[in-house]
Amino acid sequence: MAETYEAQVVRALREIDTTLRLVRYSLDARPPQEVLDELHQQGMLPPTLLFEVRISDAEGRTVASTHPQPAHQPNVTMVQAEGMGIELLGSGEGAEQPLAFSRRLSEESANPQGAVSVLVDGAYFVSGYDMDTLGVLGVLALAEEEGTFLVRRTGNDLFSGEKIDYEDLLTDNDGIGQPALVRSSEWDGVDRYLVARQLFEFPVAIVVGLSQTEQLDAAESMQRSYYLRAWLVSLAGLVILALLGWLSWKLQQVQAKVLEERLDHARRAEYLAFHDNLTGLPNRAYFSRLLTRGMQHARRYDKQLALLFLDLDRFKAINDSLGHDAGDELLQEISRRLGHSVRESDTVARLGGDEFVVLLPEIIEQEQISHVANKILAAVSAPFTLVGQEFRITVSIGIARYPADGEDEQTLMKHADVAMYHAKEEGKNNAQFYSEQLKSDSLERLALESSLRKALERQEFTLYYQSKLDMATGRVIGMEALLRWQHPELGLILPKQFIPLAEENGLIVPIGRWVIYTACRQNVAWLKAGLPQMSMAVNLSARQFLDDGLLRDIKGALQASGMAPELLEVEITESMMMVDMQKAVGVLQELRKIGVRIAIDDFGTGYSSLSKLQALPLDTIKIDGSFIQDLLNNAGDRSLTEAIIDLGKSLGLTIVAEGVESAEQVAYLRQHACDQVQGFYMHEPQPAVDAARSVQERLDSESIP
Amino acid sequence: MPSRLTRLGCSLLLCLVSNLAWADVVVVTSAQSAVTTLSRSELADIYLGRNSRFPGGQPATPVDQRENSPAYIAFYRHYLGQTPTQIKMHWSRLIFTGRGQPPHSEADNETMADFIAQNSDAIGYLDNAYLDDRLQVVSID
Repeated sequence: MAETYEAQVVRALREIDTTLRLVRYSLDARPPQEVLDELHQQGMLPPTLLFEVRISDAEGRTVASTHPQPAHQPNVTMVQAEGMGIELLGSGEGAEQPLAFSRRLSEESANPQGAVSVLVDGAYFVSGYDMDTLGVLGVLALAEEEGTFLVRRTGNDLFSGEKIDYEDLLTDNDGIGQPALVRSSEWDGVDRYLVARQLFEFPVAIVVGLSQTEQLDAAESMQRSYYLRAWLVSLAGLVILALLGWLSWKLQQVQAKVLEERLDHARRAEYLAFHDNLTGLPNRAYFSRLLTRGMQHARRYDKQLALLFLDLDRFKAINDSLGHDAGDELLQEISRRLGHSVRESDTVARLGGDEFVVLLPEIIEQEQISHVANKILAAVSAPFTLVGQEFRITVSIGIARYPADGEDEQTLMKHADVAMYHAKEEGKNNAQFYSEQLKSDSLERLALESSLRKALERQEFTLYYQSKLDMATGRVIGMEALLRWQHPELGLILPKQFIPLAEENGLIVPIGRWVIYTACRQNVAWLKAGLPQMSMAVNLSARQFLDDGLLRDIKGALQASGMAPELLEVEITESMMMVDMQKAVGVLQELRKIGVRIAIDDFGTGYSSLSKLQALPLDTIKIDGSFIQDLLNNAGDRSLTEAIIDLGKSLGLTIVAEGVESAEQVAYLRQHACDQVQGFYMHEPQPAVDAARSVQERLDSESIP
Repeated sequence: MPSRLTRLGCSLLLCLVSNLAWADVVVVTSAQSAVTTLSRSELADIYLGRNSRFPGGQPATPVDQRENSPAYIAFYRHYLGQTPTQIKMHWSRLIFTGRGQPPHSEADNETMADFIAQNSDAIGYLDNAYLDDRLQVVSID
C-alpha cells in the first residue's frame, strides 16, 4: 500500500516538475501571460480544473496565471534555493490550502527574476484515500522536511500545516523489509501501524497509516461474527436435535397408539372369534379348545368329564312365529338359565342356532350328571314371557362321557349328538346318556338314509293294496295303495320307519310321484284284466302335499295311465291342512277341478274342529282306526264315531272306517250307517297280485250263492 | 444528522435556484453529429471519463466550460446531479491515480459554440441563447 502511494506521489510530483520546467523553458520575450495561454491552448499544461500555473515576479506578485486572480490571493514566496520549492500557501491548520510547487525562472542568477509555480489543492495528493483499505481512522499524508504536514487525510477529513517531528516520524519506519510498527500518532493520538518514507527526489515524505483499533476491530468483529455464527449454528443444531427428538417421541407415541389400537383390535377380534356375540358364551371354536384342554386335564389326572349336548325343542316354530328378535331374546334367556344351572367350574357354550353344550369337568358319578341335566331341564322349561306372551320351551339333552363314550373331541361330540337325537325320539324334554345301542341305532339310521337315496333307482319300493268294502253291498269298491320298501338286507320296511326320513331329506317328493304313477297304472291294469271298477286311494305326505309339482304329477299320472280321474282319491291328514290352511284349500280345489276325490285320513286324532271341515272341499272322511278298535268297549269313542258319521252325513261326505278287525265292529258300523269299511277283518294289505286274487275270490264266492 | 439535513436542505434549495436560473443550459453537438439523444447515465459516463464513445460507437469528446462558470455549475447540477466540488474530487482521484484526464474546457458560451461546431465528435453545453444553426440540441431523457 505504501509502495503504491509512494509511486503515485512521485509520479504526480514529477509531472508538476515537468510542467515547471516546460513553462520556464517556454518563456521568451513575449508577455508571460501570452506564453501561458499558448501552452494552455496547446494542451501542454495540466488540467486547469485542478492545477493553476502561475508566474510571479521577484517580489512574489503574480504576473501571469492560467486562472483569474481573486483579490486576496496569497502570493508565492520566493524560492530561495535551487530545485523545486514546496510551499503551503495560506495559513492556519485544517483548511484546504493549496500547495505551491515552484522553480526560480533563472537558476544561475543569484538575483532572482521571479518564479514559476504550479498550485494544486493538497487534497489532490490524498485523493487516493480508500475507505475500504484505510478505514475511517487511517492516515494518508505528505510531510515536508521542516516538520509540517503539507496535507493529511484521515477518513473524509483533510488537514494541513500540522507540525510534526519529522525525524522521529521517519526513524525505523520506512516499512521496507519489516512489518509496520504500531505507534501513537502525535498529531491526533491514534495508535496506528505507520509507514513513513522519505522520497528520493523530493524533499517530502509520504505517510501511510492504519488504525490499530480499527484493524483489530475488524478482526474482532470478524471474530465476533465467527463466534456468533458458531453460536447460531450450534443453536440451530440444538433446535434441530430437539425437533428430531420431539418428532421421534411423537412417532413413538403414534406407533404406541397404533400398536395399542391393533392390540385392542386383536383382543376384540379374538374375543369375537371365540365368543358368540348374541349370548357372550364361548363359541364352537373356543369350546373346542376348552374341551380339548379339559380332556387333557382329565387324562393326566385320571378323571372323567361329561359333555351335555342341548337342542331346544320347537325352537324353529317359535322363531318363525314370534320373529327372530324374540328368538334371540329367548336364546339369551336360555343361556342365562344354563349359566345358573351349572357350577362355576362348568362351561356353557353355544354352538350355533339353538344348540348349546355344557362341559362338566371332574365327574365322579353318573348321578351328578343326571342331577345337572335335570336342573337344566327344569330351568329351561320354566315359563318365559316373550312379546308379552307366556309360554314354555323344552330342551333335549344328549350326554357323552369322557373317556367311556369317546376319547377324542370329535367322537365325544358325535356321541353326545346321537344321544340328543335319541332324547328327541324319546319324546323330547329329557336327557339321554349315550350307549353303544344308540350308536348302532344311529348307524342303522345312517345306513337307511343312504340306501333310501338309492332305493328308487334300484326299484326297491313296492306298493301293497288294501281293499275297501262297501257296507251296503259287501263288495270291494276301492283299493288303498300302501308304500313298502323291500330292503335287500333289512327286509320289508314300513312307511313309518322311513317316511319321516324321506320327509326330512326331501326324497318324499320323487317317492310320492312314483307311488301315484304306479297306483294309477295298477288301477288301469286291473280294470283291463277284468276286475270290476275300483277307486284307488293314495296317501300324500305333508311335504308332498305342499310341493308345487303335486298337481302336475297327478295330472301326468292320470294321463299316462289313462285312468279316470274320479277313481283317484288322495288321502291327506288334518295336520297337513293346518300347516297352511289357505294353500291347502287352494290345492284341494285344484284337485277337485280335475275330478280327483279327496279323503281326510286318520280323522279324529287331530285337533281341528269339526266345523272346519265345512270349509274344505272334501269327499270322504276316514275315521281313525284307534276309535274303531275300542268302539265296542269305550263309550267315548263310540259317541265320537257316531258324531263323526252324523256330521259327515250332514255334509254329504262318504264315511270310511279304518282298522276294522271284527264282525262286531262291522255290525256296529253298519248299524250306524257307515258307508265303507277297511281293515284286517276283510283284507290285510297285499301285493298287487294277491290283492287282485282276493278281489277275484270274493267276487267268485259272491256269485256262487 | 442535523448537519446532513441542513446540507440536504441547502442543496435542494440550490438545486431549485439553479434550475430556475439555469434551466436554459442545453447539451449540444455539432449539426453534423448523428447524436441527437442521450440518457442521463450515458451523458454522465461520457463526462466523468467512464466512456469515451457515444452509444452508437462513434468517439466522444466532452467539452467543459470554465470551472465554476454559471453554465458549468448549471450543467453538472442539472444533468449529472453533482456539485463542482464532487466533480473536482472525482477528477483529483482519477488524475492522481493516473486513470484519466478531465474534459477539455472552453472559456465561455461563444468559444464553446465555435468548438462544437467545428468538431463533429464533440459534445458540450451552453446557454441556449448561444444556439445557432451549426449546433443541434441533444435531448437528455
